[in-house]
Amino acid sequence: MKAFLKKEWMEWSRTGRILILLLIFSLFGVMNPALTKLTPWLIEALSESLADTGLAITSVKIDAMTSWTQFYKNIPIGLLVFLLLGSGSFTAEYQKGTLVPVVTKGLSRRKILSAKSLMLYLMWTVLYVLCFGITFIYNAYFWDNSIVSHFAFAVLFTWLFGIWTISLLIFFSSVVESSTEVLLGTGGVVAGAYVLHMFPKLSTFLPVRLMDGMSLLQDIRQPADYYISMAVAAVMIFSFMILATVCFDRKYL
Amino acid sequence: MEMLTLSHVTKRFGEKQVLRDVTFSVPEHTVFGFVGQNGAGKTTAMKLILGLLQRDGGAIFVNGMPVHYGSTATNQFVGYLPDVPEFYSYMTAPEYLRFCGELFGMSEKEIKIRSEELLHLVGLEKEKHRIKGFSRGMKQRLGVAQALFGRPKLLICDEPTSALDPLGRKELLDILVAAKEQTTVLFSTHILSDVEHICDEMAFLHNGTIVLQGSLEEVRRRKQTVAMELETQRPEDAQLLLAAFPFLKLTGRSGLLLEDTERFPDVLRFLADTKLVPVRMEQQEASLEELFLEVVGK
Repeated sequence: MKAFLKKEWMEWSRTGRILILLLIFSLFGVMNPALTKLTPWLIEALSESLADTGLAITSVKIDAMTSWTQFYKNIPIGLLVFLLLGSGSFTAEYQKGTLVPVVTKGLSRRKILSAKSLMLYLMWTVLYVLCFGITFIYNAYFWDNSIVSHFAFAVLFTWLFGIWTISLLIFFSSVVESSTEVLLGTGGVVAGAYVLHMFPKLSTFLPVRLMDGMSLLQDIRQPADYYISMAVAAVMIFSFMILATVCFDRKYL
Repeated sequence: MEMLTLSHVTKRFGEKQVLRDVTFSVPEHTVFGFVGQNGAGKTTAMKLILGLLQRDGGAIFVNGMPVHYGSTATNQFVGYLPDVPEFYSYMTAPEYLRFCGELFGMSEKEIKIRSEELLHLVGLEKEKHRIKGFSRGMKQRLGVAQALFGRPKLLICDEPTSALDPLGRKELLDILVAAKEQTTVLFSTHILSDVEHICDEMAFLHNGTIVLQGSLEEVRRRKQTVAMELETQRPEDAQLLLAAFPFLKLTGRSGLLLEDTERFPDVLRFLADTKLVPVRMEQQEASLEELFLEVVGK
């Protein structure tokens, strides 16, 4: 399995996937505080023309919270890019037949699945920590991070949502043939969850709630409000991984 | 001992019955030719042996152990060269072989020695580029190297020569013959001259069953009617013979072919009576080509 992990690492780095993701996630990390910093200046520049239309702007208050709002707007885009680039992790190998020599050398399919999953989960974690870390440091430098509440929970929940979508990606990768189908499947389930999330009765249970970190930061919700969706996400991640193992064992390569 | 045994193996894809009843076995240290037309089911049979496809019936044993679909333990004895081998395009050939060695859990030193040995064998030792830029022939060579890397007891090659130029083909056949010392080779092909060159045993696959199998000599003996070739000194002599025996076939200007060998004494008698001295008289060797055509009924 170590050999296959090494190969995965080589694939991620030599195909440029890591570079793109590192750039995007650090760019987002910098952009969150940068945009916040620019906001007053932008509004000032606009205020004259706005004044003509009758809108009067007095002053704009910016703080760490504004920057974290940006963070929560950008992280879904980061996740989307990550899923797009990760969607070919399995399917590109099915289509080229590159797993055939590996399997016929006696490497068990479970080890292949484990190595690929581990790589995806680890990459997401590293990139997430990077993006969040950069924003955190800038926020601490410019403003004060202490005004936000339940910080650790908010960070953890969003990360878990990412893990949940990746487990979906892995499950679909073990069933279908092409990356388009993987993305359709994963996107379909996530979109479905968002639709169901609009019903107040269901929203408590759905992992989608985990993405609502702002309510935690602003102390509108308490961590306990998220426990059910967290448990549901955890159970789903576990089940998807079991299902993926069963399907991948029987997958035609 | 039998390295590979297939007994009453069947496989269907939807409506199409690809393998009806395939039974054959490959003894240790032989080069076994698996012959059949395109689409006869050779690749399917090989994938069944490798556990890459699920069989519908029958049993397969490699080195005495049963083959299961999915992750099969028998693959530890097997080296496989697919018909169109594909490798990670971002690696170089030595990197790919290193990866293979690591999969087998070989030591660093062992990997280095084996890689050099095999890259030299397949003629890729000077190749520094990534696999992305490899031609099909080069991929085929790398395919041979990776298949032999783990010193398999059974080497399975799916049409290894079909993508190669004549020189590359000869080299590859030489490699397979050399590999016979250490391993058993099963290779599929539709190129009969390859079989004639290197195989000890063979099986013809047609319509989903094995229609003919045995050693090269046994299979050749199967063909009862072996034609006689006759060449006369002058074309006129050939015409003379043709007039006397209309069932002879003219080949070229002064060559004649006698298919019905029971009439050979009559022809000899005629030659003696007319004092005709042929340049050449020869029993035609049964070519696998003809045998193959006979078997597939065309």
